[in-house]
Formats: sequence, C-alpha cells, structure tokens
Amino acid sequence: MPLLLAAAPSEAPDYSSSIQPLLTARCIACHPSSGGQAGLSLAGHADVLRGGNSGAAVVPGDPSASLLLRRVSGESPEMPPVGEPLTPSQVALLERWIAAGAPHGAENDGAPDETWWSFRALVRPSVPKPESAWGANPIDRFIAARLAENGLSPSRPADRTTLIRRLSFNLHGLPPSPAEVDAFVNDRSPDAYQRLVDRLLASPRYGERWGRHWLDVAHYGESHGYDKDKARRNSWPYRDYVIESFNRDKPYARFIREQIAGDVLWPAEPDGLIATGFVAAGPWDYVGHAELREGTKDKKLARLLDRDDMVAATMSSFTSLTVHCARCHDHKFDPIQQADYYALQAVFAGVDRAEQPYFQDPETHARGRRLWLAIGKAEAALRPFLRQIEEGSGEEVQRIDEQKSALNQESTDLLPKVGEIDTPESIARRKEIFGLIKQLEAERKALALAAMSAADRERYSELSEQLDALNAEFAALPGPKYVYSAANYFKTHGRFIPSGEPRPVYLLAKGSVESPQQLARPGAVTAVAGLEARFGIDSAQGEGAARAALAAWLAHRDNPLTWRSIANRVWHYHFGRGLVETPNDFGRMGAMPTHPALLDWLASEVRDSGGSLKHLHRLILLSASYRQSSTERSDQAKIDAGNQFLWRMNRTRLDAEAVRDSVLAVAGQIDLQMGGPSAEHFFFKDDHSPVYDYTRFDFSSAAARRRGVYRFLVRSVQDPFMESLDCADPSLLVPKRNSTLTAIQALALLNDPLMIGQARHFADRLRAVSTESAERLRHGIRLAYGRSASDSEVTALAEYSDQHGLESAARLLFNGNEFIFVD
Amino acid sequence: MPNQGAATLTDRRQFLEHWGGGLGWIALAQLLGREAGAAQAPAGGGLHHPARAKRVVQLFMSGAASQCDMYDYKPLLIERNGQEFDPGGTVELFQSSPGPVMRSPWDWKQHGDSGKWMSSLVPHLAGCVDHMAFFPSMVSKSNVHGPATFMQNSGFVLPGFPSMGAWISYGLGALTDELPSFVVLPDARGFAPNGPGNHTAAFLPAQHQGTMIRAGRENPIHDLFPPASADFVTPESERDGLALLERLNRRHLASRGGDSRLEARIQAYEMAARLQVTAPQVLDISGESAATKKLYGIDEPITQDFGLRCLTARRLLERGVRFVQVWSGADNGFPRRNWDSHEDIRKDHGAMGTEMDKPAAALIRDLEARGLLEDTIVYWTTEFGRMPCSQGTLGRDHNPFTFTSWLAGGGVRGGTVYGSSDEWSYKAADKPIYCYDLHATVLHLLGIDHTRLTFRHNGIDRRLTDVHGEVITDVLA
Repeated sequence: MPLLLAAAPSEAPDYSSSIQPLLTARCIACHPSSGGQAGLSLAGHADVLRGGNSGAAVVPGDPSASLLLRRVSGESPEMPPVGEPLTPSQVALLERWIAAGAPHGAENDGAPDETWWSFRALVRPSVPKPESAWGANPIDRFIAARLAENGLSPSRPADRTTLIRRLSFNLHGLPPSPAEVDAFVNDRSPDAYQRLVDRLLASPRYGERWGRHWLDVAHYGESHGYDKDKARRNSWPYRDYVIESFNRDKPYARFIREQIAGDVLWPAEPDGLIATGFVAAGPWDYVGHAELREGTKDKKLARLLDRDDMVAATMSSFTSLTVHCARCHDHKFDPIQQADYYALQAVFAGVDRAEQPYFQDPETHARGRRLWLAIGKAEAALRPFLRQIEEGSGEEVQRIDEQKSALNQESTDLLPKVGEIDTPESIARRKEIFGLIKQLEAERKALALAAMSAADRERYSELSEQLDALNAEFAALPGPKYVYSAANYFKTHGRFIPSGEPRPVYLLAKGSVESPQQLARPGAVTAVAGLEARFGIDSAQGEGAARAALAAWLAHRDNPLTWRSIANRVWHYHFGRGLVETPNDFGRMGAMPTHPALLDWLASEVRDSGGSLKHLHRLILLSASYRQSSTERSDQAKIDAGNQFLWRMNRTRLDAEAVRDSVLAVAGQIDLQMGGPSAEHFFFKDDHSPVYDYTRFDFSSAAARRRGVYRFLVRSVQDPFMESLDCADPSLLVPKRNSTLTAIQALALLNDPLMIGQARHFADRLRAVSTESAERLRHGIRLAYGRSASDSEVTALAEYSDQHGLESAARLLFNGNEFIFVD
Repeated sequence: MPNQGAATLTDRRQFLEHWGGGLGWIALAQLLGREAGAAQAPAGGGLHHPARAKRVVQLFMSGAASQCDMYDYKPLLIERNGQEFDPGGTVELFQSSPGPVMRSPWDWKQHGDSGKWMSSLVPHLAGCVDHMAFFPSMVSKSNVHGPATFMQNSGFVLPGFPSMGAWISYGLGALTDELPSFVVLPDARGFAPNGPGNHTAAFLPAQHQGTMIRAGRENPIHDLFPPASADFVTPESERDGLALLERLNRRHLASRGGDSRLEARIQAYEMAARLQVTAPQVLDISGESAATKKLYGIDEPITQDFGLRCLTARRLLERGVRFVQVWSGADNGFPRRNWDSHEDIRKDHGAMGTEMDKPAAALIRDLEARGLLEDTIVYWTTEFGRMPCSQGTLGRDHNPFTFTSWLAGGGVRGGTVYGSSDEWSYKAADKPIYCYDLHATVLHLLGIDHTRLTFRHNGIDRRLTDVHGEVITDVLA
C-alpha cells in the first residue's frame, strides 16, 4: 500500500516521516519501548495505539478524546514535563493525524515506495533557463536558480594561483609545483583551465587521491580488528584495484558488479576476484571465527555480525541506505523491512573473508580458480569421513588415545622450565616420543578405517585420491599470488572452516541469534520500484549466483539510489559537502538534498555517460560554481551563513593523507612509486595480540616516503599522526571525514619525527636554491603555499632563519594555516 | 647556529610557563570540548538535570577478573569443592568442558558496617566497602574478550563506537583548558585486547578520544615534545617561532574573515604550548609526600606501575580531567599479563589482584581525604567474569553469565549490593543487569539523561546505551 506523501494539508500526515520523529524527539525519553513512565510507550505505532496505565493514548478519528493530544496541548500543557511545549504546528500535526484515523501509513509494508525523494525513479530534469550571463555550464544554471530563489548571487572567479592549488589538491591530494603554477598563470590560451583539468585527470595521482576516498567508504583496513588483531598482508591488491579503476575511469556499473561478484562474473580475470576485496574489507572477529566451537551462541553471533558488516558496507556504499537499522525490527523511518535485511544477509551466506589465490595470466587464473573451488568441494565431501576417523570408537581406540595423551604429557614435562637448560637426553626422548605418537596415530587411523563399511572405505579412498590429484594439479600452476577477499572456499584455520553450501540464514526476532524465525532467501530492498527484490536463487545455482544477482540489482540502470549516491559522493569530494549532506543516508533520518534537481541531473549524467566519473568531474570542475572565490561576503553570509546554496567556494582543511603527502612533496622527498605491499610505519611483532608500535619506526626509511594511500592500515592501533588529522578509522564506514583542529594535532604537526625529519629535507632543498636566506625563503613559500611571497614575510622568515636555523623556518612553513587550508 | 640539545627540555618548559601565560586565552574554552555541535553543559554541572558528580575514574581489569575470587562469596563452592559442577542445563564454556567445582584459594571475611564479604585477595579494598556499591549480577553479551571489552567501553560488541569517556567528554566538555578531557593510562605491559580502539571517539569529534598518557616515556603524550633528534629546536627557536607563526597566521586570516576555523587553529597552537607545560607538571610526583606514595604502593615493585597510574589519575582529576581510564592488565598472551587466568587462578589472579588492590583502595582513600570523592565516581569493571568450576586443574574459564562491577564516590550509596548471582556465582539470579544500566547510572550521576545524549551517525541517533539502559536508582545516595 504505497502512501502518497505529496499529501495535501487535509490528508493524513505520514506516520513514519512526521509523527514518529516528533514522538521520538519529544516523548520517547520518558516513554521508551519498555519501562516507560505511566506504562506508556510511544516508540512505535502499535505502542501508541496500545496506550498505557491511563488507557488509550489515541482514539483514532477523535482528537478530543485522545489523551495524548490533551496532554500536549492547551494553555500550559502537562507534557512534555521538561523543555518547551510542542509548537502549535506540531500539535496541529498530531491532531490531523488522529482525526484521519491515526493511520500507520506505508511504513514498511514492503510495497515499492516512490514517496520519498531518493526512491523516486531517476528522470533527467530539464536544465533551468539562464537568467544571467553567469555560468555557461548546466550545473551553474541549477546553482544560479537556487541562488536567485534565495536572494543570493555567485562570487567572482578565484584567481589562477588559487585555482591551480585548489585543483591539484582536489584531484591529486598534492600541491602544484612552482613550475606548474607559473605555466598555468602565464598560459593565455582560452582553454588553459580545461587543459589543466584534463592533464590532472589523466595523471595516475588522480586514482591515488580518489581511490582513497573510495577506501574510506568501503572501510578498507589491513588488520582484523578486535582482540588478536592480526595483519592482513595480502589486502593491498584490492587497494591497487581501486586506484587502477579510478585511473582507467572504469564504468561505475562494472565497478559495482566486480566488487560484489567479480569472481563469479569474470572468472577468467584476476581483477574479478581481487575486486571482492570490498566484501572482505571490514573488521573480522578472529577469536569468534577461528577459536569458538561450532554451534555456540557466540559463534552464531560472530557470523551474524560478520554478514551484517558486509550488508551494511554494501548498501551504505552503493545505495546510501541504512538497511542495517533493520536487523532487529523493520526500519523505523525508511521503507526497509526486516525481511529485506535478512534477504541481504542471505546473499552473503556463503562467503567468508580469507585469502584466495589469483594468477596474473587470465588463462591460468581461470584454471587455478576452477581447481581451487574443486579442491574446496572435494575437501567438503571428505570432511565427514575425516571426522569419523578422528572420532573413532572402541576399546582399542581408547587405549591408543590414553597412550597418546600420556606420551604428550611426558613430552610436556620434559620441556625445560624457566631457568633450566635443555639436556641431550631430554631432547632425544622427546624426539622418540614424537615418533611413537606418529606411529600410534597411524594405528588409530587403520583401526578407524577398518571399522568403516566397505562402501565408505572405498568412497573415502576415492575422494582422497581425487583431492590429492587436484592438489597436485594446483601446485603445478606457476606462482599463485594471494588476495584477502570474499571467499567461499579457503584453507581451514583452526575452527574457521569453509561453509561449502551457503549457511542457512533465518530472520531473527529482535535480531537475536536465539530467536530464529523463517528461512531467508537472497534478495534486496523491496521498496525500490521496478526491480525484482527477491532473486529466486536456489542453492543448486551455486554460492555466487546470489551475489551476482545483488550486483545486477545494485548496478541496474533503473536503481535510482545507485546513481544518486555516486553523483552525491563525487560532488561531496569536490565541494567539501554533498548536495545531500549525509552521503551514506538518503533516508528520512538523513539530510534532504539542497539541490534535488541538480542531483538528479548529475545522476543522470553518470548513468547515461556509461558510468564515467571523469565525465562527471569535468562537468563539475569546468563549472563557474566550482571556480568561485572562497572569500567571505557578509551580505550573502547574512542570508546563508552555511553556504548551502554555494554563493562561494568552500575553504577546506586538507585531509590526513594530503597533509602528509604535501609535507613529503614540499620537502622534495615523496616517493611516487605506485602499488604493491603497504608501507608499514610501525614496528611489528607478532604475538597473541600483535604489537604495532608507531614510536619505534625509522622515519628516514624508504617506507616513510610513500604516499599516504599506500600506508598499512591497522585497526586496533591507528597511526597517531594520521589520527590527529582525522584519517578514516577503518573500523567505521566513513562517508565524510571529520575536520578538527586540536591541540594534539598542532603538536603532531610541530613535533612528530616525520615533521622534524622533513623540515631538515625541506631546508636542504632550499639551501640548494641560493646562499641568501631571503631567496631561500621566497622559494620556500612558493613550494609550500604555491604563490609568490611578499617582501615583508620573506624578511620576517629570513630573520628567523638567520637566528634559529633554516630547519626551524622550514618547520614553521609546514605549520602555517596556509599550508593546511585550501581556498 | 649553536644547538643545545635535549638538555633544554626543562628550560623550554620553564620558558613556556612564562610565555604561555602571557598570551590571550580568549575563547580557548570553545576549543576544548566545547566546540560547536557538542552538547553545552550549563555552568552548574549536569546537562539534563543537576549533577551529583563531575568526573569519573574507571579502573578496567583487562582479561576478565574473577568475581568469585574477590567479591562474590558463595559458601556452596567451599562445601562442594572438587565435586562435579552441576548447576542444571548445558554449561557452554569458551575453551573447555566444565571441570569440578573449585573454591577460591582465598579466604572470605565480612568487612565494614555493611558486613560485605570480601576475599583475602583484596584486603585493602575490603577496608573501603562502606564507600562501594557492588553489582554482582552483571551480564555480558559476549563470551569473547574483544567484543566483550568493546561492550564494556562503548555498549557495542563491535569496533567503531565511541567509548564512555568520549561520550562524557562530548556531553559535558572539559573542566580545564589545560588538559584533554578524556585521558587513558594504559598498563606498562601493553594494550588490552582491541588496543586503543577501546578508547576511541569513533564518529564523535577527535578531541573527545582518549588521550594516552604514558609516564616515564620521553614523550608521555604522543608528539608532546620534539624527538631528541630535533637538535635544531631550542627554547628560543620555539618562542620566536610560535610568535612568528601566529603573526603569519593572523596575516593569512586578515584577508579571510568570517572563517572561525582559522582563528581556532591559531588557538590550538596556544593550547598545545599550554599542554607542554601542564602535562609534565601532572606527571611530576616529586611534590607528593612519602606517605602518599606509600599509600599507593609506589615504593613496592608489585604495586608500582598501577600505583603510579592511580596516583596520576588523581592528579589529573584534581586538575580538571573529566574522565580517566586506568587499565590493569594488557592482552591475553603468555606469560600471563592480565586477568585471563585460564591456567592458574592462585598464581595469576594472585599477582593481578595484589597489583591492583592496594592502589585502587588508595585512590578511594586519597580522593576522600582531598574532598574529591564526593563528586568523583570510581568505576571498577572488567569485560566478564570467571566460572566457579575449574578449567584444567587450577584455572577458570570465561563467565559472561555473571560478574561483578562496583561504583564508589559521587552520589553513590556506599555499602550496598544491588542484585545477586545464583548460589554458584555461575549466573546472574536477582536483577540481572548489563553495562547499559551501569553506564546509564554513571551518566545520571553526572547530570546526563542517557537517552538524550545522542549523535547521529549513518542514519541512526547513536547512544552510549544503544536502545537499553535503566538508571539503578537503588544505589543512588
């Protein structure tokens, strides 16, 4: 029953978008879902109708008889007891809703929802007619229209020095070199700016910068997180895949499909497998998966949360929906049913996170992949027999087990205690015991085999031979490499065992693993109109079929969320704020688009250009809107202090990677080598919980000079320098970075060994320019701030340098506001 | 130019004391935890109602401290010692199959006016029972260290959620402009499971994350001072450099009016200089009396590390830090360096308990003596408990079904016990509670309604207490 949200005032207000948010904001603190004041809960529609100790809170159709309305209205309303009373319009809203029969509305009945902006079909809007000469680009016409509506006017264009610095940081995360600045400033050709944009977009630095944005969204990390935060040393191929995809301007639909199901859709392409590093990017509970016994509650919980992470990451990243809110109940605000959520969990029911082999050569890759999965099948078939052998039974087996455990005990007792020295006799005996145990194990196996039926024995030996043959064939393939990715089959590690067939996923009442309800079938969100939300996949089609179906659903031309989501993300990274300020939430708890028509136009452009992000970049970067000055204008600020209508450009603080990379670039030390294993900026010691110590790292080593996107990303212990600059926490989905200015951050920029070391290099670089302090610092300002210096600042800095050394002056330049902010 | 090297650190501090104080401190308060967006705390304390306490010190026992060897006295365990453990139903353990009932290796006695039973492992805490409210019916949602430790810190069994200290810093802001509002004092042996992820601000602004202070290191706070290799840095170069930096930054600001971030960043450097002065002062305990040091056990090797950190906690609290988290124990590795005593309770809990008991009791006594206990909450906790049956022959496995936490100080009714476990200390029996309830209670004492301290992140108004939590009014003074 789709509800018409574009309701005339006389129609009933929508419960989930209007009434529940009001109750949540003002009433729920004292009337939560349980244990509320006066026995009343106002947490959900049913609760409101149920009422409390004083009886019904609401009498549908009769506002005057409704206690709820009486308590919140009148001269001095009784409720809420603290804070301001409800506003007259809020009271009127409640009254209208009750008068209309207090309807539940369309909340989560699973029908397609075209009432909410983000769910509406994506139709290319017409571009507003130009009302002024400003901005030839369609984007500018949308912007100009909203500016005019709000009594605002655009700013003058920024000067060229500002523009090239803005563009360089925006597209590369690096400052322009003085030569690049000069060339652009002095380029009098009419297409100078356009050529600059094209040149920057064509550089591999672009993929490094924009790939990093995607890694934020995907919460890419290189250790498991939790206790026993083991390093994932083979995650980086996914990072390189992302960078390469941006550099090649991979069609966005293909980018989506590869990351969800590339292994299934492109079995002969190593990138297909590597891309599923997306599914594996998040945290993983090592103890929960590899140590807990099968069947325990905590094991089930670990798996539930693991799949939850996959679902949340997928749906937040590609559709900007918060489906993870529907794990315990239907989504409170958006049309996402709990059944949808578990349908999505079912999509990932056959995958875990583990290392998978890949081969550079496509033919070998295809063959290796087939063999790998066949090995998985063979191991699964063999597993019941092995279990039978391991369990064993009978007196003989028991006798052997007792002997074995006695020998094991003896061996343990023979180990030297703390402070003792090992003796040759002890070593010899332990060796002997080792042999005896091997012998006993062989005996035990023979016994177990003898106890099997002849048919079982034959099947067992057949399967063993098959497996051996497959393993031998696989081993003969030249040089597999490994990537940490989505994995149906992987090498057993402790109690972390491949599922084989997808594990059954049940809808869980209240999200509790102890309350399974009906079996869930693979699917997606029902409320997206025009797309089949239940995939009709059965297990005979293999594990990957469900992921392939989800990939198709996500990347579908008619999925309006997908195209709006990516268009908004791109805009966000260009302007420092999205047209929707909550890039991961296009639901009712998220922000509304400031320029809905523009967002739809941009989304249509991406979709209709074959999913080209570079096309979208060009449109945006060539707009007059993007090229505006960031200077404050008080008359405009009075109307729109937050600049949501873009009457000027936003000034941005550089993010952590851009700060780090710029320091290295300005000091002349940056190593632009691309790809490969990550640079570890810490001392590592493997242990129960491995040690990652950032204070024990040689900052003069080559690893320190790589770009920030290539640093090794630990979950449990983040790099304190990068953390002080609000780097993305890989345990969190990060649609936008925080941008704080703290004392701890100031200390990091002043005192971190990285900064001290690079200040020396920067000083050396300046020394090579001239013997004069003034000339050195003039050049220093050009390098650090991308502009020519004024005489007075050169004088002040030179004086400081003469007194305290060029290193100190170089360090100071790194700490200027001008270094870290971009106009 | 001549370099004076590391010997100049003290000089620099002295100079900063003079120089730092001379600068304008206008609007500094806005920077320290009172940034736009953070909930504004009224001058009188509480955010939503009058506060009973202003600050919190949390003592976190990493690895799972055994309730039935310290606080949860069960005569049945002595009576049935060595007999089969049969509490009814299936006993699902983390590592092992349940061994026989194992009595505590420590003896039990009643203490204080309240007559609370305490074991001889914690003789000093036993002297404080009339200040303490015990919660012997705590339950954890996870039986695994990592998720369970996250849960006690953030209310979620997952990484990526703000720690209690971060929430309180976000809610109440700082009491001082000279120190961070949330400070963490990790065990000298290393981090607890999950590492610094336990005290993250997650999606809250970065100034609310736990700042680690590690006494005895060259840099007790990361990057507080330049490394020794920075021989070009001298007190004079710092003084002149920061003054010049401010001049250049103000010039930059002059043509970019209306952007408060540019001013905020100038002030961040002033605060940084201030922190360089105050942090070493806080850590310098030379002014503490011999009696105080003895009280905390700083004179004995076994209590030295935890004692020093408890004393440091007091010094931080009295200088206005809002939330101090002191860790007892590191990760769950070998040889044992936290409370995860699977192998040998007597040996491993013996060491951890002795390390912890005297300093923790000293902290309560010392806060009391200085009049700080009345508005400071001492919150002792661990991620879950241990089984009353044995593992191997001498150890105990995890017990998420019941464990004990306690509160003392500001607004807490001392000498009380809320709820109880069953006769075995195996499962919570009367009034089972989760950390949500304790978190709600601590927030309540600080004048915060836990349901109203929220932050919207990826579509959800997040809370420390998720969708749970009841204030335990029975223990409010």
